[in-house]
Amino acid sequence: MLQPILQLESITRDFSDGRKIRRVLYTTDLSIFPGEFTIIAGPSGSGKTTLLTIMGLILKPSEGEISIQNERVTHLPENRLATVRQQKYGFVFQQAELLPALDVLENVVVASGIQGQTVSAGLRKKAGELLDSFGMGDCLSMTTQQLSGGQKQRVAIARALINAPALLLCDEPTSALDSESSTIVLDALKQLSKDTTRGLIMVTHDPRVFPYADRLIKIENGSIVYDSRPQGAQEA
Amino acid sequence: MRSRVAFKILLHDRSTTAGALIGVIAIVFLVGQQISVLFGLFTYMSVLVDHGGADIWVCSKNTDNINGAGYIPERYVDRVSGLAGVAWAEPLLFGGASLVTRDGKNEAVQVVGLRNPRGAAGPWRFYQGGQDGLLEFEGATIERLDAKLYGNPQIGDSIEIGNVRVRVSAITQSVKGFAGRLVFTNMVKAQEIIKSPPGRCKAVLVKLKDGVSLEAGLAHVRSMLPGAEVLSADELSRMTRIYYVKNTGMGGSFGLSTLIGALVGIIIITLTMYTGVLQRQKDFAVLRALGARKLDIFIIVLAQSLMIGVVGVFIGFLLLAGFLSGTLDSPLPSYMPLWIAPVLAGATLFMCVLGSLLAMRKAISVEPASVFR
Repeated sequence: MLQPILQLESITRDFSDGRKIRRVLYTTDLSIFPGEFTIIAGPSGSGKTTLLTIMGLILKPSEGEISIQNERVTHLPENRLATVRQQKYGFVFQQAELLPALDVLENVVVASGIQGQTVSAGLRKKAGELLDSFGMGDCLSMTTQQLSGGQKQRVAIARALINAPALLLCDEPTSALDSESSTIVLDALKQLSKDTTRGLIMVTHDPRVFPYADRLIKIENGSIVYDSRPQGAQEA
Repeated sequence: MRSRVAFKILLHDRSTTAGALIGVIAIVFLVGQQISVLFGLFTYMSVLVDHGGADIWVCSKNTDNINGAGYIPERYVDRVSGLAGVAWAEPLLFGGASLVTRDGKNEAVQVVGLRNPRGAAGPWRFYQGGQDGLLEFEGATIERLDAKLYGNPQIGDSIEIGNVRVRVSAITQSVKGFAGRLVFTNMVKAQEIIKSPPGRCKAVLVKLKDGVSLEAGLAHVRSMLPGAEVLSADELSRMTRIYYVKNTGMGGSFGLSTLIGALVGIIIITLTMYTGVLQRQKDFAVLRALGARKLDIFIIVLAQSLMIGVVGVFIGFLLLAGFLSGTLDSPLPSYMPLWIAPVLAGATLFMCVLGSLLAMRKAISVEPASVFR
């Protein structure tokens, strides 16, 4: 039986503006399995990014438990959560969010060395190979300003993969790209999703992306309203 | 990797880096310049004591600075000379007088009378001529830096001081006093100029024989001259400096300007570092999302402030060296003891870190969730 990589149990999230508390994510149970391209879709303000940031251990849930690879992480201290993020997560943001001060190769290895770890020659080689696999092998020493939007997003994917994460979380990575670049990025993500050691979750509001999904989850007003694989289906 | 990220951000944000560097350079230069002028003035205050070549100074009772010493009997010289352990004892006379310049103006000078042939507490640097010039009956020195004020008298020219004619027999180089422009002459001529009471001097300089301890020498002289103030040269020098710092407002003035220099630097560093962090908030949020702890962000900003500090201190000291070199042998007093340099460098780095505290606070408070908005 395939084990989930990520499990959310009875997760909720409330926000307060100082006067009243507003619930943006209602009780949610969700398991993410490796080897699947999971797409979470919903209109703007539906709570999909909140759900993504909770899954990414960036936002703490108001209630509920999060487990990654069967380890409960909800109540870990902030520093420990940062380490879990570094070791087990890869993030691809809406804008590539590369550091303009660093060159392409450094932007990839920074995810490995940001807690003070030494960046070895082997790691640099691995980063170079990753970039090469995304067609960026000739751009290692380029500045990020010299890259197109699509190229930046491919560097961001390489950065997300450098620590061989168990989960790859993508926040509308194609929304700022033209259709050709979007196709390249989506093809790359689809390919990555076939790795059975890794889960891949992408948040989007763009229905043109849905065909790439192995599993489609729709969220509206803070609640999951559709899941192409209902809870428990994988185990069955 | 954290220090590399810090370094690369500094290189990338050139204007912010330059601004913070200016802050550090301002601290080093402004504070260093103030300190060097203060120490320059210190050397002037106790110049006679520091260059006297004596171990012990005998002055009038309750003397708390050399320039305020009263008259003491010159016969003390003979009494002290006879003590075991004393190599030599020499009288010293000094006092204010007016020097008449070539265009008829009067300039205040401090006349120092030395007893020949030893000439203890005589000038220590000469531009022209030498100590031998003071062996002449009418011989006197003038200071090169003051010569223009006097109408540029040359060696051999006659000048009038305190209605007494003297002849310029040597020109000193950067021999300046705090209580007035120094003119050295022999004891007899000085008595004539200052019109001091006969048989009186201002101090007796005592040199101990090799191997005699200072404490023993002081005790011996004190027991011999209970009516006089007997001090070691170091003690008298220190007391003189403290006297002026306390009683002239100089300490407060220099302290305030040093503080202002440091504050200006810290404010520049604070504003530029903070602005730099504001501009890089998104980058810090990304790093946090990728797994950086608050500690890692703190280390990045700390490394940046230290890097700016080290480079700024280096440039600041280069400028300070230029200032010190430029004011050497000039009327502006400037002197920096060697031990000041590491203290100033360390204090500047500390101020640099202090100036970046606000930036650090802002940087570590950046929420990683902001990347997703």
